[in-house]
Amino acid sequence: MRDGSTGALESHENSIACESDSRSLEKLKHAIDHATDYLPSQGPISIFVHHNTLHPFEDLPFEEAVIVGGSLYDCQPYLPEARYRGALQRGRITIDDVRSVLMKDLGEDADDLIASFGTRYTLRLAMMQMPPHAAPDAELAWMLAESDLLKKFSEELPAQRREQLISQTRRWVMRYRATSQTDELPATADGVLRDLLRKFGDHNIESWTAAKWESFVLNLLWQFCHQGVEEAGLAATSDPTPLRHRDVLLSATGIDIDQPVNEVLIRFCGVFLDQGFAGLSLPHRHSGFAASFAELYLQPLSMMQSWMRPIRSELLQMADGNFDALSSIAQSLELLGVDASEQDEYVGQTLLALRGWAGMIWQMETSAPFFPTPAPKGSLQEYLAVRLMLERHALTDAGRRRFGTSDLREIQSRASSRSALSRRPTIEQRTFTVYQLAQSGGWSPENLVSMSQPQWRRLVSEVESFTAHDRRRIFHLAYEKKYRNQSLDAIISHGKRVALSASSGPAKKRPAYQAIFCIDDREESIRRHLEEVDPECETASAAGFFAVAMYYQGADHAHFRPLCPNVITPDHYVREEPLFSSVEDNEKRSRRRHRIGTLTHQVHSGSRTMIGGWITGVFGAVATFPMVARIMAPRLTSQIREAIGSLTRPPATELHLERINEKPGQDFDSLGYSLPEMAAIVTRILEDVGAVEQLPPIIVFFGHGSSSLNNPHESAYNCGACSGGRGGPNARAFAQMANDPRVRALVAQSGIHLSDEVRFVGAYHNTCSDRVDYYDLDLLPRPHRSLFRRIEASIDEARARNAHERARRFESAPLDLSPAAALEHVEQRSEDLSQARPEYNHATCAMVIVGRREWSRGLYLDRRSFLTSYDPSIDDETATILARILAAAIPVCAGISLEYYFSTVDNEGYGCGSKLPHNIASMLGVMTGAASDLRPGLSQQMVEIHEPMRILFVIETTPEKMQLIIDSNATIARLVLGNWVQLAIFNAESCSMHLYEDGCFEPYIPVSDQLPTAPSSIDWYRGQRDHLGFATIATENFAAAHVGTFENGDLR
Amino acid sequence: MNTTDLVFQFLGTAVVASPALLVAILGFFALIGLPLSEGSISRLTQASVLFSLLPAVAILVMMLALGIRYVPIELGDWVTIPEQEFHFRLKFVFDRLSIPFLILSCVLCGVVGAFTRRYLHREVGYGRFFLYYAMFFTGMVTSSLAGTIETLFVGWEMVGLSSALLVAYFDQRESPVRSGQRVWSIYRLSDAAFLVAAISIHHLTGEGDFGGLMSSGIWPAGTAAVTSQQALFVGTLLLIAAAGKSALFPFSGWLPRAMEGPTPSSAIFYGALSVHLGAYLLLRVSPLLDVSMTLRVMVIALGVVSAACGSLMSRVQHDVKVSLAYASLTQVGIIVVEIGLGLKYLALIHIIGHACMRTMQLLRAPTLLRDYQTMENALGTRLPAGKSRIGSLMPAALERWCYRFGFDRGFMDIALDQWIVRPFVSIFERFDSWERGTTDWMSHEASRESDAAELHPESTGRAA
Repeated sequence: MRDGSTGALESHENSIACESDSRSLEKLKHAIDHATDYLPSQGPISIFVHHNTLHPFEDLPFEEAVIVGGSLYDCQPYLPEARYRGALQRGRITIDDVRSVLMKDLGEDADDLIASFGTRYTLRLAMMQMPPHAAPDAELAWMLAESDLLKKFSEELPAQRREQLISQTRRWVMRYRATSQTDELPATADGVLRDLLRKFGDHNIESWTAAKWESFVLNLLWQFCHQGVEEAGLAATSDPTPLRHRDVLLSATGIDIDQPVNEVLIRFCGVFLDQGFAGLSLPHRHSGFAASFAELYLQPLSMMQSWMRPIRSELLQMADGNFDALSSIAQSLELLGVDASEQDEYVGQTLLALRGWAGMIWQMETSAPFFPTPAPKGSLQEYLAVRLMLERHALTDAGRRRFGTSDLREIQSRASSRSALSRRPTIEQRTFTVYQLAQSGGWSPENLVSMSQPQWRRLVSEVESFTAHDRRRIFHLAYEKKYRNQSLDAIISHGKRVALSASSGPAKKRPAYQAIFCIDDREESIRRHLEEVDPECETASAAGFFAVAMYYQGADHAHFRPLCPNVITPDHYVREEPLFSSVEDNEKRSRRRHRIGTLTHQVHSGSRTMIGGWITGVFGAVATFPMVARIMAPRLTSQIREAIGSLTRPPATELHLERINEKPGQDFDSLGYSLPEMAAIVTRILEDVGAVEQLPPIIVFFGHGSSSLNNPHESAYNCGACSGGRGGPNARAFAQMANDPRVRALVAQSGIHLSDEVRFVGAYHNTCSDRVDYYDLDLLPRPHRSLFRRIEASIDEARARNAHERARRFESAPLDLSPAAALEHVEQRSEDLSQARPEYNHATCAMVIVGRREWSRGLYLDRRSFLTSYDPSIDDETATILARILAAAIPVCAGISLEYYFSTVDNEGYGCGSKLPHNIASMLGVMTGAASDLRPGLSQQMVEIHEPMRILFVIETTPEKMQLIIDSNATIARLVLGNWVQLAIFNAESCSMHLYEDGCFEPYIPVSDQLPTAPSSIDWYRGQRDHLGFATIATENFAAAHVGTFENGDLR
Repeated sequence: MNTTDLVFQFLGTAVVASPALLVAILGFFALIGLPLSEGSISRLTQASVLFSLLPAVAILVMMLALGIRYVPIELGDWVTIPEQEFHFRLKFVFDRLSIPFLILSCVLCGVVGAFTRRYLHREVGYGRFFLYYAMFFTGMVTSSLAGTIETLFVGWEMVGLSSALLVAYFDQRESPVRSGQRVWSIYRLSDAAFLVAAISIHHLTGEGDFGGLMSSGIWPAGTAAVTSQQALFVGTLLLIAAAGKSALFPFSGWLPRAMEGPTPSSAIFYGALSVHLGAYLLLRVSPLLDVSMTLRVMVIALGVVSAACGSLMSRVQHDVKVSLAYASLTQVGIIVVEIGLGLKYLALIHIIGHACMRTMQLLRAPTLLRDYQTMENALGTRLPAGKSRIGSLMPAALERWCYRFGFDRGFMDIALDQWIVRPFVSIFERFDSWERGTTDWMSHEASRESDAAELHPESTGRAA
């Protein structure tokens, strides 16, 4: 397979030059471009955007993609089987669900007869319940010789089955022994049985103890299994030979050439991509990856590792300025003997060998306009060229040491002949599998011995076709099914109660005020608590950028930053400016800030130099006091810091929101929006949340974000709809737009009349410390102020309760905290340097509810559901509003849930592992420890309580409209048709569900109509740490409206 | 023995016994397989640090009040070989050098303990971390107070062992374990030098007591009671030991590798305490420098070279932890220079200040992005690139070479691999092949069964 000419470097150059095959270079370029699709697409960590980790495989169905993607990245597709098994034991998965999932999975094949004692379904079910362990030969030999494998039945086996099997076999053996005919059994089996009897001493068979019989039966079982498997004579399957030379060499000799190569490349990629951390920057960086690499390693009077020394001549070519990365790659591939047919895959796998850094080079090359030092075009190609060159030399070196040859082809053939020797399921291993199944399935030796050779063949291949991956998939489906059934049942039951209370209760009246939050799952609980605290209020939600897509610069910010979903590129720039009257004050304060900033910067960078370090070192003892204070009393210290900080913070500010120039831009007069643009934004959001009539006097919009210390992933905790930014300014901007009478006049044209009485307020909710700030309160008219005080008081109570509900998930918070103490606890968390879990972020997300709040209000969702407001009654026939809501909601929520899914099922592979040894590299990402690949994904501390499931959408609409949306939006179609999300359609009038399965909407039949009730959220969750089930929270009014409907009012 | 002596004896014993007790308790429960809860581990640790720190402060206060400048605590001769005039004495000394260093160790260990209590919450290795931590703490207390070279060696070894184990804390991955072994082997090298020095001191003075070596006077006023040659010999050995421990030239290669452990362990061990231990040793034996000018020059030269290398290497690094590690090295180099110049108090102050500051910096290393953003916001622009004053005077070619030097970490690892490890390994490989040849010849067939053994899945990267 690896033909092509061999020879010295020069001859290759000539041959390549002669061919001058630009077509093949074009193909190579295409191969690299294709391979970049599979690199991690996470950009710099300061702008963290949740996305589907297996995004490149979204065209495949989920179940296929996890296998294909998993094998490409060498990652797990599902949780480990043991975790599912644990879930089965504690009832998180029910065996009934496993049965039905398995039945459905097999379809018509379920009843196929395998061997003589069961169907395919029963065989698989047995394997699900008692999975056969696999053991390598050496372990097996040890188990046979030393353990109780052939002496005692597996302990998991019920005693009854054990007894049955023994007595059955005993009778059969005794009978067989008494008859002298030998034609009843095949000769070999007869021989086996007689041998075994002799070995166990059959002269006194009647006085054998129970233990001896047990052992005899097991031995017989083993022997017959062994014989059967041997007879079946199935070809041994073996793993395909790996493509990369490194993999072949590693499996043959244990030498990993990636290790020295990566060591060099990690260090170099780091300094190449550095965004200004290092005091000295890479010389000749601007001339590209390869040239600067060559320049660096060609320095005179320097040492190189011995394996690298021969690269000098090639470096000289790189440095001379006419280096062409593509032809260098082609040359390397040829020297390595890679066929044109294997080229694509080889390139892809090579890039994946250090995928974090390679991906980051690609990100910095293609999409990093806002960073100080983006990578020059072509960096990734040059990276690949350098990498292949290094790999060749590392291979040569390893080959010389190991096989005494430096010829690459020779090394490859020697290594592959060696690695082929290892790893094949042997007869013993197969016997072991069947033996275990025979025990759990109760297959007696008598049954086994009567099986024909084709039957054995069938059995063994059947067993092997149901792999551990398949078992995990079935478990996973059952795991999802349980939660899905529970939540759909809960929504239906709750919906019925709501409908009942609405029909019996008073007509819907205007709420006292409205609070609009982000759709984020973390805002579910604060909304619920607010509604509990003040039942006269109403809450709703929209994606947290509130349709204000902008680049935003705060008064004390150095740069503009996008505040909108990352799929949108904003056109508008908005700046926060000091109030006109406090411009001078602001100047003063900004000078102070500048002075402090200069000083901290000097200390910061100076402490790492010689002289500066000496000064800071000698006076460093002063650092002890803040250090001890911050670690021992983080909350107090932060309060003091804040008090001092108020001297430098900008004074009262306003948003520069109204544009004068025609075109938006960064100039002073081009900042902001025109009035029609503002009106469009206001109309859109009011329609989305269904607030078109009966508007209350005050509507508060809450943007959200999160602040935590010592957390490189801080941005991941912020609002996903603001590209990992904080959404307060969006709420503020929206309120300012909606309060403008000129905008209101324009909005009125689209049929939404905002009376003068209606006022909007912007606010910011910190989901980590549960702090809430309001914007521009001075502009609130006097008559509104008392209502605002009421809102403020309710919000204060709600956020304390919210903190309380959050604290139940933190093991370090005692379960008996009061809400006020819980609020202090979460404030402390956000200011604590030593806190690895400032908050749990989206770790509990599992569901998205799209529809009116009425029927989810009062339902305890355990912070597990995104809530998107949508009122079908104001939508048109083609569901225009729903389509635009879902166009954002489905990809965003699916991205979040899938990133959590993959980071949870394989935290080391897809996620970034434990946070504890993380080390910020190049200001772009994190490495584990001193030097490793860049780690995209989520950390173990972020996902530890996550239940990995595909997110369940429950949408209030009709199947027909949903089908229309699926058909017209390619992204939604891909996610829904590929089963990357689960989809259910809710009909609020009839309280019925349709579930999207196998490409069509099937009516869903509720499993249970039992939904517990609790007087308040606290009563429901108090004392619980784990995920909690659903419940109707019967606040007083709600309960009063329909006394007697809660017959099953017991808690839990 | 009067009351004061008794009180001193009691307090001094408490200082030393408290950490040792912590190791014993944590170790015992780990050994019998009854892991303690997170809460009890952290409470025990805090109590232990407190019961070490408070008596230490009390001793300091009493010494200041009574005007005593030297308090020895003897815990007896543990081994005596009269013929060889050898005795192993456990002796601890409270004086103007040891007390500040002891209090520094206690404070930093206490702070890092409090930090780790939350940082490692829910971590499987919680107990393991605190066991190593306790061992480290004991080692630090022992070596700061050591009055004899043997006692110092005991503490020194505990620090070394716990450091290496903490580097390899994440033992599920390959590179921490590799790095841990690397750290350990460098430590062994310096230990060997230390041990030879200890034996020589015994030969020279008949005892391991630093007092004997210094003949008279209390630190810093002591004078050495050995000749210039002897001082040079012992001093050189101790210098090698100190260089290994403090990652001075040419042993700096292990310092970045030590950043594999969890953040707090990197902070305290390599940023703050462990790297200063070598400098502390030099301070302890500083009277030797007065006797031998050559030794003094060597110390200064080593310090200068290390500081220069450290500062270069630190400026080139792109990741925060390694950069801080090398920045530490720079300062340790300067401290060594100060010791060489005889500025003992300055060196002591420098050690204390630097350790505190670096601990803080390393503990908050993960918050770098936020800090940079804050600074950018305050300045209103991108941060100016750090300009080196010396760098601007250098010709461009030299600057590029310096970059290369820093990038490859002073070629120190490469040189060690090439000139020490390689020859060592190849000699033994040669022996191995001779042995194989001989046995094959004797048995007339391939005599090594292990040659045919399959590789373990772990070594081929296929472990499940």
